[in-house]
Amino acid sequence: MLKNLCQKMFGRSLWVYHANSGGCNGCDIEVLNVLTPYYDVERFGIKLVGSPRHADVMLCQGPAMRSTSKALLRAYEAMPSPKLVFAIGSCACGGGIWFDSYTVIGPVEKVLPVNYYIPGCPPRPEAIIYGVAVAVGLVDKKTAPVQFKQLEFPIPQYHPSELNGEGDLVIYEKTEHI
Amino acid sequence: MSVMSKLKETLVCLNAGRVTLPYPAQAQPVPPNFRGRPIFDANKCIGCAGCANNCPAREILVYDVCQEVRIVKYLGRRCTYCGRCADVCPEKAIKISHEFENGTNAVSDISQKLDIFMSTCQRCGRCFKGAQVLDELKMKGYRFDDLQNDRWVFRSQAYLEGEPVVDDIKIELEG
Amino acid sequence: MDTNLLNMILGGLANVVVVLLVAPFFQGVLRKVTARIQSRQGPPLLQPYYDIFKLLGKEDIESGVSPVMQRFATYLSLATILAVGCLVPLGFKAPMNNAGDAILLIYLLTLSGICMLLAGLAAGSTYSLVGISREMMAMLTLEPLFAITIVIGALHTQSFRLDTVLSGAVYQTAGVPVSGLIMLGVMLLSFQAFVQRVPFDMSEAETEIMEGPLMEYSGPKLAMFKYAQMAKLIVFSGLFIGLFVPWGSELLFPFGWILFWVKVFILVLMVTVLAATHARYRIDQAIRYFAALLAVGFVALILASNGF
Repeated sequence: MLKNLCQKMFGRSLWVYHANSGGCNGCDIEVLNVLTPYYDVERFGIKLVGSPRHADVMLCQGPAMRSTSKALLRAYEAMPSPKLVFAIGSCACGGGIWFDSYTVIGPVEKVLPVNYYIPGCPPRPEAIIYGVAVAVGLVDKKTAPVQFKQLEFPIPQYHPSELNGEGDLVIYEKTEHI
Repeated sequence: MSVMSKLKETLVCLNAGRVTLPYPAQAQPVPPNFRGRPIFDANKCIGCAGCANNCPAREILVYDVCQEVRIVKYLGRRCTYCGRCADVCPEKAIKISHEFENGTNAVSDISQKLDIFMSTCQRCGRCFKGAQVLDELKMKGYRFDDLQNDRWVFRSQAYLEGEPVVDDIKIELEG
Repeated sequence: MDTNLLNMILGGLANVVVVLLVAPFFQGVLRKVTARIQSRQGPPLLQPYYDIFKLLGKEDIESGVSPVMQRFATYLSLATILAVGCLVPLGFKAPMNNAGDAILLIYLLTLSGICMLLAGLAAGSTYSLVGISREMMAMLTLEPLFAITIVIGALHTQSFRLDTVLSGAVYQTAGVPVSGLIMLGVMLLSFQAFVQRVPFDMSEAETEIMEGPLMEYSGPKLAMFKYAQMAKLIVFSGLFIGLFVPWGSELLFPFGWILFWVKVFILVLMVTVLAATHARYRIDQAIRYFAALLAVGFVALILASNGF
C-alpha cells in the first residue's frame, strides 16, 4: 500500500542529487540556474539534497572517467530503490567532445543505467526543465528518429559480410551494422 | 540583528513580485542567433562529407553502401551544437534550428539518417565525381588552358592582338 | 476517575492526531512564504505531504554503524515530539494535567534533543559526528532557557500543574511582571534555535556538512525524522503561545481554537521571515549568542525568585 502511494507521489516530489563526474562545469552552472528564482524548479516539488541516500534522481554530468567511475557507481548504489538517472549534457549522453581522450571511458551509460537523456552543450535551463517534465509526465517528448531516403532504390544492397555460404548456397542474412 | 533592516529587505524583495517564468506552460522566445539542433535537409545534400570532416565531436558518419547510395548518419549524442557543419555545407542543407527541447528517454531519438543518391554518368555508369569543394575554392575562375602540358596560363597571346602585357604579373607565355 | 482517564487518553490522541495532520501544512506555508520572499513561485502548499508519502514508500537501506540504534533513534524522535504534543494545549486545555507535569515537559524536551544525537551516533559517518557535536554544544546552552521560563511560571503560581503554568503564569506577579517580560524577549530572540531554522540550523547544515546527522537515513526513517522536525514547529509554537500569549483561549470552542491557530500562523510567519533574510551562524557565534541570553535568563530567574 505504501509502495502504491509512493508511486503516485513520485512525480510530485523528486529529490535530486547532483553528481558531476568530470565535466567542464558548464552543465553544472545550467543546473544551478534551474534552481534560481527565474526558472524556479521547486514549484514542481524538486529539491536539491546533499546525500544520495535522500535522493530519488541522480543528475549526472560529464563523461564517465576512469578516475571517477567508481565513485559514481557507489553513489548510484547508495540511492534507495525507486530511482532514476538523468544524463545531462552531451558529455553524459554520448561522451561529449572528448570522447576519445585518455581518461574518458565514455558516456555515463557505460557505468550506470540511464533513464533520461537531455542533450545540449550546455543544455538551456528550459531544456533541462523540459526533460524533467517529460520524465514526470507533464509534457510529451518532441524528438523522434528521422530517416530519409532520396530514392527508393530497387538495387539490393549487399555487404560481403552478410553473404554466407559459397557457390550455389549463398544466403543473404541482413544484419544491422555500420 | 536590526529587525527593521530585515523587514525592509523583506518588503523590497516582496515588491519584486514573482519573477518565475511560466515555462513549460508558456513557451519562451529564443534569441535569434540561438544554436539548437541541426536539421539535415536530404533534398539538398550532395554527400560531400564536409560536415563530417568538420565536426569537432566526430558525430557525423558518411559511408557508401554501394556505388549509388551514400548514407549520412548524424547520431546526435555527442553533438555540441557548435554549428560548424552548417557553416561548411556548400548547399546549405544543414539548418541550425531553434529546437532545444530534446529531452528523451531513448537516445536514438535524436539521430537522423539520410540516404543520398549519388548520380552516375549516363554513358559509362560510374559515379560522376563533381568538383570537390576545396578545388572549387582554390580554382574559381581559373581553368587549365593548356591541357596537354597541364600548365597554368593566365593570358595567352593566341587571343590577344598586340596588347601589352602587364609587367608585374609573371606570365608564362607560349613560345 | 475512570472518565477522567478516558478523557485523558482521548484528549492525548486528539492532540497527536491534530499535530500529525497539521504539521506538514505549516511547513508548506513556511516553504511557500520563503519562496515568495525570494521572488519565486515556490512549491504548492501541500508539498510536504507529498514528500512524506513518497519517502514512506522508498526502500530502506540500512547502513551505518549500528542499524538497531538507528531504528531506535528514529522512532524515539517522533515519539517524544508527539508526547510533548500531548502535554501542550493546542487550542483547548492540555489533556494530561494531573500533577507535576511541568517537570515532565522539561525532561521530554531534553529527550527530544538527545534523539538527534543518538541518530547521528548510530550513523557513524564523519559528517554525522560533526553535526551532532554542534548539536550537543547548542543544546547545552539552549535547553535551560525553556526550563527557566517554566520554572519562573511555576515560581509565580506556586504550582507545577501544566494548565496553570501554560496559561500566562510568567506574568502573574503583583506589580509589573519584569521577569515575564524579560523572558518574553529572550524567548523571542531564541525561538528560531528551538525549531532549528536558519540562523541556527548549523547542526543540519544542508550544504556544509551534507545534512549532518540525517545523512545515512533513507526512506521511512527519513520520513519520520522530517515529520519530527515539522511537528517541532507546531509544538514549540504551542508552548510559546501557552507561556506568553495565552489570552483568548478561554473563549467558546470554535473561536478559541481558531484564535490559537491564527497565533500559530503569525508565529510561523515570523519564523519564516527571519529564516529567509538571515544567513547561518557559525557554532561559536551561536554559542556566544546563547550564552548572553542564558545570562539574561538567570537574571530573570533571580528576579522571579525575589517576587518580581
